[in-house]
Amino acid sequence: MRKPWQPQQPRNWWLRNPAYRRYMLREATALPLLLYTLLLLAGIVQFSRGEAAFATWLSWLQTPAGLLLQGIALAAALLHAVTWVALVPKILVIDSDRLRIDPRHVLRAHQLGALAGNLGLIVATLWLLWPTGGA
Amino acid sequence: MSDTIELAVTRYRPEQDTQPWEQRYTVPCSDDMSVLDALNYIKDALDPSLSHRWSCRMAICGSCGVMVNGEPKLSCKTFLRDYREAGVLEVRALDNLPVERDLVADISGVVEHIEAVKPWLIRHSEPPVDTAHSQTPAQMARYHAFSQCINCALCYAACPQFGRNPAFLGPAALTLAQRYNLDSRDEGSSERMPWLNAEEGVWSCTFVGYCSEVCPKDVDPASAINRGKVASDINYGVNLFRLLRGKGDA
Repeated sequence: MRKPWQPQQPRNWWLRNPAYRRYMLREATALPLLLYTLLLLAGIVQFSRGEAAFATWLSWLQTPAGLLLQGIALAAALLHAVTWVALVPKILVIDSDRLRIDPRHVLRAHQLGALAGNLGLIVATLWLLWPTGGA
Repeated sequence: MSDTIELAVTRYRPEQDTQPWEQRYTVPCSDDMSVLDALNYIKDALDPSLSHRWSCRMAICGSCGVMVNGEPKLSCKTFLRDYREAGVLEVRALDNLPVERDLVADISGVVEHIEAVKPWLIRHSEPPVDTAHSQTPAQMARYHAFSQCINCALCYAACPQFGRNPAFLGPAALTLAQRYNLDSRDEGSSERMPWLNAEEGVWSCTFVGYCSEVCPKDVDPASAINRGKVASDINYGVNLFRLLRGKGDA
């Protein structure tokens, strides 16, 4: 008579293998980004409360805790972007009778796009914040 | 250099055991010995009660998959020499599957998933018998890697989503669906798309990617499944358009 053993997935399955740990790290990058989003939302709320409240929020950003949170959020955002962009050639395969694009070019285009987008954002921010700019 | 190596084999004998347990064996170790050779040595010389599955010894039948030190491997393609440093090999049946006995995992659920996606050429009209389905090398290259699957189920042992929910069609089945959908000779994608689109289809995959790392035939199921998500998106859009025009699903 058959009596197969039914294995149960252990709760710590993701600690058991380096590939799973890398995957969970990639997925966990969402958590610091959530905290950073809440931080920005708090900034908007403080802004609506007046200048003094907003100044308090701004000064909190420069405390060790504020800098640590922003540092972790930046590192998480970079890891998130790098790991997902690296997977693009596995997902976006352009290969038909009419059009074929080398997967390496697809990857390169995404990397350049991400780089251009981020640099553009930094340049635009600096231009807006420059004393004579944006006015 | 030691000329023996220890194997810690997870045993399960349904007649006597209520749960798996570990038994250690010391086997000879040489550069050309595979883990399958070691298991056969145990079976022949040390303990005839050990059960394991194997056939071709050359990584094509897909029968001899086991977990070796926590990684899904074909035992015929895994060599003792690579574990000399570790000193001991932990060998158990493939993860995420019911264990029939010792190292024999029950892959019938996986086979059912594979059958569900109709992994064969579907044609609405057959060409005359004296002609062939012509296909250019470029057309063949589009699905060729996905057609190398040997149904060994290592990807299922590697997939935590399948471990969590055995109803998930899983890497091999979804890869084979893509393999035939990408074949220029096939006309059956409308019969496979409901399986890709289903809750148990491509959307249950979270791109862990370990299936592609463990695949002994470099099939890259993670890529096939996630390309299936693109196909599923397009299919959704096309079906929505057809619905508005009062037509059936594509």
